[in-house]
Amino acid sequence: MKFDRRISRRSFLAAAGVSAAALALTACGGSSSTAASGSTASSGAAAGSAEGGVLNIMLETEVQSLDPQLATDGTSFEVIADYTDGLMQMDENGAAVEALAESYELSEDGKTYTFHLKDAKWSNGDAVTAADFVFGWQRAVDPANASEYSYMLSDIGQVVNAAEIIAGDKPVTDLGVTAVDDKTLKVELNVPVSYFLSLMYFPTFYPMNQKFFESCGDTYGTSADTVLSNGAFVLTSYEPAATAFELVKNADYYDADRIALDGLNYQVIKDSQQALMSYQNGDLDITLLNGEQVEQVKDDPEFTSVGAGYLWYISPNIDAVPDLANLNLRRAITFALNRDSITNDVLKDGSSPAYTAVPAQFATGPDGSDFSADQTKFAEFCAYDPDKAAEYYEQAKAELGKDSFSFTMIVDADDAPQKVAQVVQEQLQTTLPGFTLELKVEPKKQRVQDLQDGTFELGLTRWGPDYADPMTYLGMWVTGNSNNYGLWSDADYDAIIAECTTGDLCTDPEGRWEAMYDAESIVLEQAVIFPLYGQCNAEMISSAVTGIEHHPCALNRVYKNTTKNA
Amino acid sequence: MKKYTLKRIITSLFTLLAILLVLFILMQLMPGSPFNDEKLTPEMRASLYAKYGLDQPIYVQFFRYVTNMLRGDFGVSYNISKNTPISQLIQSRLPISIRVGGMAVTLGAVVGLVLGIIAALKRDTIFDTLATIISVIGVSVPSYVIALALSYTFGFKLKWFPMLFSAKDVFGSSVLPSISLSMFTMASIARFTRSEMIEVLDSDYMLLAESKGISGPALIFRHALRNALIPIITVLAPLIVDLMTGSLVVEKIFAIPGVGSLLVTAIQSNDYNVVISLSFIYSAMYIGIMLVVDLLYGIIDPRIRLAKGDD
Amino acid sequence: MAEKAIRLGGESTADAIVSAVDTMYSEHTFDEKDFVLKHNDDEIAVDSNFAAQSFWKDVRVRFFRKKSAVFGMILVVFIVLLAAFGPGMNEYTYSGQELSQKNFAPRVQVLENFGIFNGDEKMSTTTGSKTVNAYVEKGKEDVYYWFGSDTYGRDIWTRTWEGARVSLIIAVAAAVIDMVIGMSYGLISGYFGGKVDMVMQRFLEVANGIPRLVIVTLLLLVLKPGMITIIFALMLTEWVGMSRIARAEMLKLKDQEFVLASRTLGAGSFFIIFKEVLPNIIGPIITQVMFSIPTAIFTEAFLSFVGLGIPVPQCSLGSLISELYNSFTTHPYQIIPPMVVMSLLMMSFNLVADGLREALDPKMKSM
Repeated sequence: MKFDRRISRRSFLAAAGVSAAALALTACGGSSSTAASGSTASSGAAAGSAEGGVLNIMLETEVQSLDPQLATDGTSFEVIADYTDGLMQMDENGAAVEALAESYELSEDGKTYTFHLKDAKWSNGDAVTAADFVFGWQRAVDPANASEYSYMLSDIGQVVNAAEIIAGDKPVTDLGVTAVDDKTLKVELNVPVSYFLSLMYFPTFYPMNQKFFESCGDTYGTSADTVLSNGAFVLTSYEPAATAFELVKNADYYDADRIALDGLNYQVIKDSQQALMSYQNGDLDITLLNGEQVEQVKDDPEFTSVGAGYLWYISPNIDAVPDLANLNLRRAITFALNRDSITNDVLKDGSSPAYTAVPAQFATGPDGSDFSADQTKFAEFCAYDPDKAAEYYEQAKAELGKDSFSFTMIVDADDAPQKVAQVVQEQLQTTLPGFTLELKVEPKKQRVQDLQDGTFELGLTRWGPDYADPMTYLGMWVTGNSNNYGLWSDADYDAIIAECTTGDLCTDPEGRWEAMYDAESIVLEQAVIFPLYGQCNAEMISSAVTGIEHHPCALNRVYKNTTKNA
Repeated sequence: MKKYTLKRIITSLFTLLAILLVLFILMQLMPGSPFNDEKLTPEMRASLYAKYGLDQPIYVQFFRYVTNMLRGDFGVSYNISKNTPISQLIQSRLPISIRVGGMAVTLGAVVGLVLGIIAALKRDTIFDTLATIISVIGVSVPSYVIALALSYTFGFKLKWFPMLFSAKDVFGSSVLPSISLSMFTMASIARFTRSEMIEVLDSDYMLLAESKGISGPALIFRHALRNALIPIITVLAPLIVDLMTGSLVVEKIFAIPGVGSLLVTAIQSNDYNVVISLSFIYSAMYIGIMLVVDLLYGIIDPRIRLAKGDD
Repeated sequence: MAEKAIRLGGESTADAIVSAVDTMYSEHTFDEKDFVLKHNDDEIAVDSNFAAQSFWKDVRVRFFRKKSAVFGMILVVFIVLLAAFGPGMNEYTYSGQELSQKNFAPRVQVLENFGIFNGDEKMSTTTGSKTVNAYVEKGKEDVYYWFGSDTYGRDIWTRTWEGARVSLIIAVAAAVIDMVIGMSYGLISGYFGGKVDMVMQRFLEVANGIPRLVIVTLLLLVLKPGMITIIFALMLTEWVGMSRIARAEMLKLKDQEFVLASRTLGAGSFFIIFKEVLPNIIGPIITQVMFSIPTAIFTEAFLSFVGLGIPVPQCSLGSLISELYNSFTTHPYQIIPPMVVMSLLMMSFNLVADGLREALDPKMKSM
């Protein structure tokens, strides 16, 4: 009946002891450990009911939007999920388990989900009904709202008519989601989507109380009074782009007994040195570090490194730069990159070298194993090997009839990418004689625009997973995708991806899995991108706190099972 | 005088309008767009442009902005705080910047004046050298280094003041940011006061005053400082605007929800409306203060009024 | 009689001339051929002000009498020399990374025997502080980093002086260019006055009323980042101060007799502005240039902090400070050298500028 797709990803927990912290660190450093930590989480949850306390959380950036259908960034998602539940939520391992859904059924053909809702209440006393979901989902695809994540319903969720509505060809009421009655929600899909349930914890799919929303006019989500809560916490103080705001425990939450914390205090701190000092002063319970600070804290049992999900890679402009269209030159570059040195000597935050196009530790297959656990799987196409690099480089020079090359790489103005870029520059220039790499630092918005417009030679960029399936990465390199920055095109590749998303392989998880490896192999063989590293964040988590759940996609931090000993 | 004032006010308004137009043109020149996430497709970007009217010709946008602004509507933020009315952002953030900046100006001006007067009176002595060194440090050490050093010493080690801005203890948590902000003002004022004071002290009317038997504090404050003050105000005025409109650096380090850091984020995220509105407020304050200083001059010093009357 | 009246000058000059002429040529009626253009273009340039030379000599004497100014000048020369030759004084390059030798504390030959600059570093960690010596730990006993090495294992000594070189070039170039532009603008605006001045001043107000950050950021986004772009950006925002001073000086001087005299001799506006007035205000202008050099260094540092500075791996003092700022609490020794050099540079330029101002301003003679 239903897919038994328990996603048992590694989750990096707020580990109380030295051993657990060390384990988390090594795991993020690239080992394939999948054990441990689960027990810590459950013991944390069990101990939880005893103590209360307010958790003081550091954020790096301000919240951009509290509107679940318009928000796009990790910070906003985290905060929205603190006070809003969707149909499903993540368990400590990141698997989708029921939240507002009491139960669900999937039709024989895999194309219709029927959700039965729990008795839950909004913070204004209204019941959470199936109509709230319908309204929320319709908002997400309404072209008038221009929601950036509307493709979660169309391309990825394959909800009936979503694509047509987004394109403006059909009215929003045609969306394939209906409220059968107050407590029953029916969702129709174009094709079976194996990971559909894991989308349900994504904030774009959260419900919205229509009456309340309309009573707020344009001001929804601009203060604590203009949002409704149905989740574990209630927002009590907030203003747009606030640097500090608070939430308290929601006494009316349907699962209130499970929540141990009395509340959450968020504090935005953009300077990591200030953040660590505040942490040491006891003003914060969890804070992010920059790589330089790891030296200061590496002996501290409270230090831990958690997977952030992002794959950082260099995208060559294959289409517009004739020299980069040369496969041997691209291979020379990818073999000249010493990724170990980048993660160990420069980043030092626990990030792991990446040799695959799909990063490790976020997607697990039908057999429960990590899609990219084996980072040497494609070693013949992607590894660090100066000799091979030199060999390919000579071939490229012969083929192109040139002795020297000069490229410009565009880089984000942030701290970490700039550091990485400087090392990449040095590595390429020393390993490949006659190769010059110039760096152009740009604000992120412009870097993205340059990539999408094709006005670049090389670009250092990143991609975070939207859902727990390798397709969130592999889908990028099909012909014509706006994130296929190099405008690379390969008919075989496109065919495999089409098979996996809308073709026959939709209903064959194992076959689909294998096909995706084939696709990944093509990407690496053709050196379409040069993977660099999977990002990890170095964090300090107070030893009084247990059970903070970290996830690489959608909701980065979840506090429902968190406890704090005062 | 009345005619001159009116004329100045009207030209100021036109200047402001011109600034607004320049800002609009600058935004057009800005590379990138506010809607630029890896996850956005070109079609969605186009629909977002249409939604906010950014696909219209610039003069239409300009006209719409000006008419809306006259009604107090500055538009909404595109991405740094999605769809939030900018007037709301300004209302909650500008007072904080003004408060911290105001403390910094007061502190900087008072300490700077005292240092400058001492240096001028004790010219070429050890006090003069000391005051010079202090003011040189003030202008040569970047404020973020000062801010972090202060925060480390007085916030982290000694725990005298909070390290981060807090709405619950606005005054206490504004102390360290104000000090770090005031350093530059203090140093500039000190240096300027010193040279102005020296000039005044060497002037003939001071000799006259002295020979008439006026001495001590009365001589310095009533006669010397008063005359030195006019040029000092000219220097101070633009500094006031700079401080009141928030400092990116200090706001970032102390997590102050002010407008300075907002402007930088907005520029980097291509949030046109926020950039234009905040820049406009800056410009309005700048032009406003310049106008006030100009008019004050006329009142204080009739010679200037006469000189200006003919243009 | 007539000559005397003219030489007396003062308010009654014109009347005196008229009456003198009247008495001398009472019978004569003027017609057109009495007046012809003298075509004396060469002569109007003759400057009979022989005191000029002794003025500059005076300035020199006054300047060198002021100890702080001389000290500042020596310091400037010293830093300039180090900026020129410092990077070549050891085997490292400013961009060469040696990741196995990162974050080494300062170590200097000879001095290390006295227990200072021996590579020891006291690190404060969250679990207490400890003293480490990276040279010993990594077995690099024969390596010396005089100012230590940064997080990429680059030599901070080399980078500091390389940075000083870049900062100096940027600052001097920006100051000189902004002097030329600001000065011309101010002089022209002041000289012509009236409508021209009105328009030019409103334009200046508009240019100055837009937050600098907006203009500079935009410029650096549009143009290819690099030294030239930064110089251009600094110039765009810094010329205003210079033009104000030039205009004020012009307003003071334009009604004076020597300008009137020059005009009477048939000199054109541009001749008067640049040949007659300019030499007389060169003092305040040079002083302002001296002050704007440290301002340019400082502004460049701010641009670096916003991420718009000199492209990596090149460095300026400002970009070094903002880069090493990140190690402020972990390896404080790293940020000290560029910061001290920057402070010294700013201080010495300020001292020289102060000295120059006093030396150039006759009012301040009594020192």
